[in-house]
Amino acid sequence: MPEIINVELLSKTYQVSEREGGIGSAIRGFFHRKHRDVKAVQKVSFSIQPGEVVGFLGPNGAGKTTTLKMLSGLLHPTSGAARVLGYIPWQREPTYLQAMTLVMGQRSRLSWDIPAADSFLLNQAIYRIPDNEYQRTLKELSELLDLAPILKKPVRNLSLGERMKVELAAGLLHRPQVLFLDEPTIGLDISAQARIREFLREFNYRTGATILLTSHYMADVTALCERVIIIHEGQLKYDGSLAGLSRRIAPFKLIGVALGEPCPCDLNPYGTPVFPNKGEDENGSKQYVQVPAGDVAAITSRMLADLPIRDLTIEDPPIESVIERAFQE
Amino acid sequence: MLRIYWRFWQVNWAEQWQYRANLLMYLFYWLVSPIVYLSVWVSIANVQGSVSGLTANDFITYYLTLLVVDQLTSEITIHIFAYKIQDGTLSGDLLRPVHPILTNALVNNIAFKALNLIVFIPIWIALFLLFRPDYSSVTLITILIAVPGILIGFCLNFLLGAMITCMAFWTTRVYSVSQFFYLLIVLLSGQFVPLQLLPPVVQQIAQYLPFQMFRFVPVEIIRNRLSTAEILFDYAISLVWLVIFYLLFRWVWREGVKRFSAVGA
Repeated sequence: MPEIINVELLSKTYQVSEREGGIGSAIRGFFHRKHRDVKAVQKVSFSIQPGEVVGFLGPNGAGKTTTLKMLSGLLHPTSGAARVLGYIPWQREPTYLQAMTLVMGQRSRLSWDIPAADSFLLNQAIYRIPDNEYQRTLKELSELLDLAPILKKPVRNLSLGERMKVELAAGLLHRPQVLFLDEPTIGLDISAQARIREFLREFNYRTGATILLTSHYMADVTALCERVIIIHEGQLKYDGSLAGLSRRIAPFKLIGVALGEPCPCDLNPYGTPVFPNKGEDENGSKQYVQVPAGDVAAITSRMLADLPIRDLTIEDPPIESVIERAFQE
Repeated sequence: MLRIYWRFWQVNWAEQWQYRANLLMYLFYWLVSPIVYLSVWVSIANVQGSVSGLTANDFITYYLTLLVVDQLTSEITIHIFAYKIQDGTLSGDLLRPVHPILTNALVNNIAFKALNLIVFIPIWIALFLLFRPDYSSVTLITILIAVPGILIGFCLNFLLGAMITCMAFWTTRVYSVSQFFYLLIVLLSGQFVPLQLLPPVVQQIAQYLPFQMFRFVPVEIIRNRLSTAEILFDYAISLVWLVIFYLLFRWVWREGVKRFSAVGA
């Protein structure tokens, strides 16, 4: 299948003017500006197939938003090439703008003074959506996102979660084939996050749209994306499946043991004790040690021989800690 | 395309109503200077009998007509758009497959005007009753002939305002640039004084500039003070300027967006 997004050696360097505090340096700065180059994105390459949902991860300032802005045509790259749906994004051809969307969790594109329903009608006109198609899409989005009770209220009066729902709907009315989502769940409570996630999964399933999303919430990533791209300080660090990431970054297993009787047993000889946040373990009866993946069998048999074990499990480390580790490296 | 403008109109009209108080402030700001000029010139003309051949009634009819033309040709693009360039909210507009200034900002200007007129008309009638001008030279024909001039005047003013607004792509001091042009317009459009009272050299130059179509030419057409030849000449000049302004605007916009997308939206 042809790639829908193709990025080759994409780089973006910002020039940032610098000035120290104080009047003296303000005057000097007036005549002679000091510039510093900030390499936001450096030679990033990847490609994405139609219908894929890819998580784009990295700590703050890694270059995620800059990349999304280049792909949606808002930024010119300093060097490198990109094609999305066959278009060069920053040429901003109307037919390209018509076929994609960029939704930013931190930035509103709807007018705050009027109800979302009115902004939707404006979008219908701007994107030249025929009436019947518009009605159908709106009905579908309303069902998926439960929009009916909030469409008539001025956007100003909506809660953060409600606002994100209408922002998403506004960005999807024209049925884009490519979705760039920058922190679509930021600031939302757990249940609102889950609803947005559920919606995105359903939207991807129903329309076959390609989704590239950034998020700080690992739950978003693990629920939606089979594939992740990790960038750090502008450089691509990893591109592949989530499972592969654990294997590469964290070739460890967690051995959990519940001991038969209270005992002052020391687990240190078997591995590094860790305390994963596991919901099923709230009584704290289970203790975990982290061991190299290759030594699991040997260590397990030693533990079984030495300790009064009631229950034993072998688990993968939680993906959150794997990704955190990937950022640190 | 018409549907796009219609939806933009609905949105902007609804939004304008949210900012009624703002609107009143703008309106008074706008009305003050012509009314002051009017009062000053009328007092002088009353004392002297006339100023360079213009009687008190000439000044009254000139400024009362100018108030109307001013309402119709003025534009506020810088106030509704410059901040979007400065704070980056323009990004949202750039994602849409329509030109943000030639659709949304244009319609916003017109909605603002329409709402303004609701307040302006009673004020104008009050001024009319106060000054009791002799409008015998005005006919329906003179008004109709001035309509294209008012339209061209608005388009010129709008495109100029849009270009000044686009300076925000390069400088944060866009309001200083705007002040400079504002002074130029006040002087050369005939808002400060009727152009006949300016030195002949300045009058000569003003004839070839776009600014007189903003106020002076439509006002004088309505007051039936221009010959057919003069009207044709002024229209021809202003149409040339319209083409120049439009092409210039497209270029400034394109370069501006290029810069916007280079430095980080």
